[in-house]
Amino acid sequence: MAKYALKRILLLIPTIFLVCLIVFVLMRSIPGDAVDAIVTRMTKSGQTVDAEAVRVRLGLDKPWYEQFVIWLGQVCRGDLGDSFFQFQSVGDILWRQLPISLELGIITLILSNLISIPLGLFCAAKQDSIPDYTIRIIAVILMSIPMFWIATLILFYPAQWWGYAPPVVYVSFWKDPIQNLKMFLVPGILGALTQAGMQLRFVRTQVLDTLRQDYVRTAYSKGIKQKTVLFRHAFRNAMIPVITIIGGSVGALVGGNMILENIFNIPGIGTQMVTALGQRDYPVVQGCVLVMTVFVMLVNLIVDLAYKWIDPRVKFD
Amino acid sequence: MQLLKDLFRKKTIGGICLVILILFLLVAIFADVIAPTPMVDGNLPMDVRAGLQKPFENPAHLLGTDRLGMDLLSYMIYGARTSVILCVCCTLLSTVLSLVIGVLSAVIGGWFDLIVQRIVDAFGCIPQMLLLLIMMAMMGNGIPQMIIALAVPSGIAGSRMVRSSAISVKDSGYCDNSDLLGGNVLWKAFKHVVPNIMPLIIISAAGSLGGVVMMEASMNFLGYGVAPGTPSWGALITGQGRELLFTAPWLCIVPGIAIALLTFCSSMFGDAIRDLLDPRLKGGVGSYNTKKLNKVLARLSRPSEAAAAEDVA
Repeated sequence: MAKYALKRILLLIPTIFLVCLIVFVLMRSIPGDAVDAIVTRMTKSGQTVDAEAVRVRLGLDKPWYEQFVIWLGQVCRGDLGDSFFQFQSVGDILWRQLPISLELGIITLILSNLISIPLGLFCAAKQDSIPDYTIRIIAVILMSIPMFWIATLILFYPAQWWGYAPPVVYVSFWKDPIQNLKMFLVPGILGALTQAGMQLRFVRTQVLDTLRQDYVRTAYSKGIKQKTVLFRHAFRNAMIPVITIIGGSVGALVGGNMILENIFNIPGIGTQMVTALGQRDYPVVQGCVLVMTVFVMLVNLIVDLAYKWIDPRVKFD
Repeated sequence: MQLLKDLFRKKTIGGICLVILILFLLVAIFADVIAPTPMVDGNLPMDVRAGLQKPFENPAHLLGTDRLGMDLLSYMIYGARTSVILCVCCTLLSTVLSLVIGVLSAVIGGWFDLIVQRIVDAFGCIPQMLLLLIMMAMMGNGIPQMIIALAVPSGIAGSRMVRSSAISVKDSGYCDNSDLLGGNVLWKAFKHVVPNIMPLIIISAAGSLGGVVMMEASMNFLGYGVAPGTPSWGALITGQGRELLFTAPWLCIVPGIAIALLTFCSSMFGDAIRDLLDPRLKGGVGSYNTKKLNKVLARLSRPSEAAAAEDVA
């Protein structure tokens, strides 16, 4: 087990390196760079600046591979560099905004699991009944509605009709938990519904799949009640692949939901990355992607290791 | 043909969705003929003096107009063309890409497989939306750029599934025989492996059809989309739809429903195709089997009929 974990952790290194390299090269092949934006901004405020001097100061005058090596060296020493625009280090930006995205993600995750797992189980138990059909069609409808569209409608129409609008100024959870949760409630529910649509269908297939196994038939023929068979025999075995999917969404939630964060004005990582990309703020994008990748891969590793705990049959080689 | 027959007989809802998809396709192809006010030199005619018009008031503008007096129905019809082009091209391109990467990686194996898989893994770790936005920023706005930006990441992601199914096929007897007869790797890959994993490819292509329109609209919202002036449902919602939410709600609601309808039909169609082609999933996720439903309905209605009969008696 420990050997397996160590092997997996060692395998993370080349992948993380590749991710950094890909993002680094892609970012630098976007036309235009931060220098132009800075020069325009300075000239507007009446200062004269030398574009070349700015370029040298930001370290953008060197060829890209040299920049990559410098950046990599910095990262190895635990420094993610400074933002070109925000007079802050990328570490500070992440420290401030990552918890916000995480909070939204965790709310989404909890809600979507609360909806999808019981409903998926119910649908599988009542396969091909009218409630099953209704729930599944609703699930597909939820998946087909564009999130930004429904979010826009929800943000504006209740405000007009009933004078209700979710707060649009972010307050820290520790300062005012109620106000904070109010802000996250609507985007959390919206995100959860979309995700629940997908998860519900998956849970249902997995449970149906296990219900056809021999041990379930054996359990029934022993005269065990349907409820017990469903929860003790089918559900536990069906959860193994479902955990993989949940693990995948845990990884995704650290990236924040760019669209929901943008609409509801939540200052998370998603908003930050869209802005940074527009400004060609290389260090911010690279830092965010690096942290996310490490997080995603660690979560995947934990999920894989958790298999052993859920399913004692699993053996690592 | 047998597949189509089965689709309509066994999966009626999937069949209806296919009909709606074909309708979308026809609307896209014959946009110039159907549109009440066709494009002139690649632009939709406007009537600024007429301004905003509500739907169903003026028979010339059945769905109303936007702020510049542009007919919404014509805009929607040309928008369907954009969406259909994106859907078809993205799905084709990403399927071909995942097929080539996945099959070659599986069949060649060894170092090639190891390196390709590390790159595929790396792409899988980058948040998908960010990757799309970076690619759009790199190439600029426009339909061809959009096709590449949407298809390349999903093709790379899809190659994993193709690879795993190709690996399960490549060690079978007929592939070994191909080696013995001196067939080269490419021959083996595309003559023996590909035809055997074709059902899986069709399933995944049909399943990914719906996501394209949704992604296009979402990217439009974040400011990266088709070139300005190209009719697109997503662009309409993001632009005037959001600005005029209170004065002209139809500008936001109509394109949203169109996106949802197209995505819904694609997913239901994809589900039906998967049920028909994948024997493992019979009665699985999306089997909307009308025969069974009819049975249930019959069973449910029987007691009430009996009750009605008793009442009469």
